[in-house]
Amino acid sequence: MKFRSIYKLSFRVSFLCLFLSVGGCFRGDMRPVRSFNESLEQIYPSQREPSMGKEWLVSLVNSQGKDKIEMIHIPTRRKVPLPGLNRADSQPISVSVSGDGERLALIRQRYDQTELMIYRRSVGTLKRIELSPKGIPRRVSLDNSGQILAVQVSRDGRWIVEVIRLQG
Amino acid sequence: MVKSDLQKIVIFLSCLLLSSCGSRIERFQDSLEIRSQQDPVLSGDGQKLALIVEYKGRLSVQLRDLRNGEVLRLRHLSRNQPHSSPSLSWNGRYLAVIAQRGNRRLVIIEDRLTGRSHHLLTPRERIPLRLSLAPDATQVAIQMADKGKWRIELFDLSKTIESDQPRGRISNTTSPVIR
Repeated sequence: MKFRSIYKLSFRVSFLCLFLSVGGCFRGDMRPVRSFNESLEQIYPSQREPSMGKEWLVSLVNSQGKDKIEMIHIPTRRKVPLPGLNRADSQPISVSVSGDGERLALIRQRYDQTELMIYRRSVGTLKRIELSPKGIPRRVSLDNSGQILAVQVSRDGRWIVEVIRLQG
Repeated sequence: MVKSDLQKIVIFLSCLLLSSCGSRIERFQDSLEIRSQQDPVLSGDGQKLALIVEYKGRLSVQLRDLRNGEVLRLRHLSRNQPHSSPSLSWNGRYLAVIAQRGNRRLVIIEDRLTGRSHHLLTPRERIPLRLSLAPDATQVAIQMADKGKWRIELFDLSKTIESDQPRGRISNTTSPVIR
């Protein structure tokens, strides 16, 4: 009788352990940063293409029917000025920020050109990166040093990925 | 005469400077069955590349080591296709991706060090579209479609997973080397 109750108890404990271990994989235990999300929603009614640096959130926001790149310093929740980046004659398509927030890689549409650019925040300069052979860039990612780019390019009717190591 | 020599030196130095500002491009050869490569993302240290490849009509995440071009094995991400919007932490310990389970989109984060996976189901009316992990993986920003609008929400992961710090930096957890 005693043996049977111990057997039942051990069976229940094993079942509970199994349930908890499986549950660990499926539990949605990531918490929304509510106050930050609420202030983000108030500032930007429409926001897409997030890219995170160590303390930075960069995204494309729609303002008065036009997309532009915005950068937020997460700890202070302040907008970071990006002089010379958003221009009236171009529309950004994709953006990525380096870890320290110093460099931004972006793809923009300007007239009939789709351009891959690097922006340096401290000096406010924008430099075009040429693709060779030519192709149409669609999406970009920057490593934390801001020296390596991965770009999705359309070439000969096919999407391919290229890694570009910037020198100098 | 001196002025002409000076001009030559200036031109030479300019050419040298311009050539050093160039760039080097690497491309990836895949098997013929892979029809497209999309959505590239680099790890913070620039040594790993995650991308979405179309293989036998299915969009699946693939992880590559850029040092040797090798495709790295993923334990939890061989199903739940289509995958989209991959994101990597600093050393590539964590790979986050948007995946499909039944008729719902969800976020899956694979920990390549422990082999565990973490899942985030958003409320049914908010569909995750794109994401970005912070370099140390303590936060993730997710773009969602919500009532016809696009919005970005930040999620705190610091109580769920260990941070992935750059090698050599002291943190509260030791980050072993991950292949």
